[in-house]
Amino acid sequence: MQKHITEQNLNALLDKLIAEGKRVVAPRLNAGTPLYEPLKNSGEMITDQLPRRSGKEAFFPLCEDIMSYTKEGQKVELKDIDPARFPETVLVGVRPCDAAAIPVLDAVFSWDYKDEFFLERRKKTTIVGLACTKADDACFCTAVGLSPSDTKGSDLFLTPLEGGGYACETFSDKGETLVNNHAGLFSEPNNAKAVALAEPGTEAFDLKKVKAWLDEHFEDPAWDSIATRCVGCGACAFVCPACHCFDIVDEGTEKSGKRRKNWDACGFWKFTHHASGHNPRDQQPKRYRNRIMHKFKYYDDKFGQTLCTGCGRCIRLCPVGIDIAAIVEEISKK
Amino acid sequence: MTQTIDTNIYAAVTEAIQSEAQRILAAGEVTAIVGYAAARRKGSAQPIVITSADDAQKLIFTPACVNNLAVYLTKAKKEIPKSGRIGIVVKGCDLKALVGLMGESQLKREQLYLIGVPCAGVLASTIQPDTGLTSDSIAPKCRECDAHLPQGCDFVPSQTPVTPELEKKYAAEIARLEALTPQERWAYWKEQFSKCIKCYACRQVCPFCFCEQCLCDRNKPQMVDTTPRPAGNTAWHIVRAMHLAGRCAGCAECERVCPMDIPLNLLNRKMAKELKELYDYEAGFDVHDKGPLNSYTEKDDQSFIK
Ligand code: SF4
Ligand code: SF4
Ligand code: SF4
Ligand code: SF4
Repeated sequence: MQKHITEQNLNALLDKLIAEGKRVVAPRLNAGTPLYEPLKNSGEMITDQLPRRSGKEAFFPLCEDIMSYTKEGQKVELKDIDPARFPETVLVGVRPCDAAAIPVLDAVFSWDYKDEFFLERRKKTTIVGLACTKADDACFCTAVGLSPSDTKGSDLFLTPLEGGGYACETFSDKGETLVNNHAGLFSEPNNAKAVALAEPGTEAFDLKKVKAWLDEHFEDPAWDSIATRCVGCGACAFVCPACHCFDIVDEGTEKSGKRRKNWDACGFWKFTHHASGHNPRDQQPKRYRNRIMHKFKYYDDKFGQTLCTGCGRCIRLCPVGIDIAAIVEEISKK
Repeated sequence: MTQTIDTNIYAAVTEAIQSEAQRILAAGEVTAIVGYAAARRKGSAQPIVITSADDAQKLIFTPACVNNLAVYLTKAKKEIPKSGRIGIVVKGCDLKALVGLMGESQLKREQLYLIGVPCAGVLASTIQPDTGLTSDSIAPKCRECDAHLPQGCDFVPSQTPVTPELEKKYAAEIARLEALTPQERWAYWKEQFSKCIKCYACRQVCPFCFCEQCLCDRNKPQMVDTTPRPAGNTAWHIVRAMHLAGRCAGCAECERVCPMDIPLNLLNRKMAKELKELYDYEAGFDVHDKGPLNSYTEKDDQSFIK
């Protein structure tokens, strides 16, 4: 279904959804830092900056309770978290590189174990994507088969038009329902042209060739030159729309507490540290190798997809300038 | 008003670094040099370790050379060659950290070949690397730098940086916070700490965070909650501030790398100010045998003993 919506009506739509009690998550400024966060009103939404962290946290929060316990005398009580409590959510203004990562994550969270926390939130969320009008030289969606107008993962997709407003296109029942429920705010498509979209400078990588090299080069001196300088933090994984590792910890006292699920990162030395004291990834290049292997080989082996959408966040934020696009390009030329 | 900051000397500085690096590697005076090299993105730079004189021409110095490379010399970075004498490119602020590490017996002066950089300033975080250096794009630490010309190095290119007087943002912010009530101040820091996602980028780039196992990574016993929630975040930030008091030399790497824009170095600088007032101690270019918090003199302030 194709429609048109003015900026004013988009705002009215968000305010209406908020008034209906839905959680509306969109890019907004938190003390100057752009983040996807629940809006109090439509005026908070910004569309000109890529949020520092990705949209994945609408389904896979930084930290969440997965169980709680209380203990009184000999009586121990365990309580599950009721996924019914997760609110109906509309995720708006999602960049194509963030939206495209969501179906990639679906694959792993509904694989051998169904992660009800992720899947229940996912079921209750409608994704409204937004075409990008600005790219910097860290962006490389076009190198991994996506584009600034890619609709992968979006239920409804907005393209800004010359003269204002957005062209809207639906890609799922969820998208159609959203439009139909608020039909008065949408009008028939007009033939205004889309504004000039972003043009990332990177050429398409030969991902097959990259994978073929990775298949054969688990051990290779290149890993040292690529990642000796990696300092082993969680920045790249935490800002990535596709990284999805987590850790489970119990926090509380003898009397009561919670079991919690936290983001984890393969860059941390502790990630593979065994209880015995042995660490199979004993040096940083081995940890960084896992990042590349997981994104461009293992995930492909298992799910036929690439675990990177070219958002460039890890490039912009790596403390030591490790540039995944440069690395993959280098590998593709080997 | 935006002021342009003159970085014209950086081209000559780059040349001087290259020829010195070439010389000391060819002569076998060092086995490796840690420096900066150009990277893919326009104007960007990244740390590099070179071991051959042929690679000396890869070294550069530009406003994008933000890293404090001292982190590569500590125990935390086992992959960097530790055999023989190592050359390192240092800005004044980085050198203060190196000097601190010598005071803590982590490094020996004679194992290092220090290539000092006459530095007018570098870019703030989140600024596109090809941006020109101005009073708007310069890193906050450079606004109040007293170390444009590093002292006591083995080699420093002869150029002199020209640096305009800029408003001191840390000093102003510390004054603002000091004027608040303790409740207001706590509210401010609580909000800042609540943004932390526990990525530990701040810890991993800090030259002084060289503990083999950080207290915050321990789980037998679990000293600090690992979740990025109020309790664990507050504990982490207090551990960090206290453990760096009297040690942090103000390179502000922690703050530069924080993906959540938490003003981490503000807290460290406030601690440094306290240390200066209480113990007349300041991080500088001279090696101290003992830091202010692990030495005792009769002149030490006793007023807190009641
Ligand atoms: S690996 Fe980097 S560029 Fe790719 S999706 Fe993750 S953060 Fe974005
Ligand atoms: S690649 Fe960069 S962001 Fe990722 S762990 Fe290494 S230093 Fe941290
Ligand atoms: S603080 Fe001083 S020495 Fe350090 S980067 Fe800034 S201007 Fe250069
Ligand atoms: S870099 Fe920032 S977000 Fe990451 S652990 Fe440090 S303070 Fe927290």
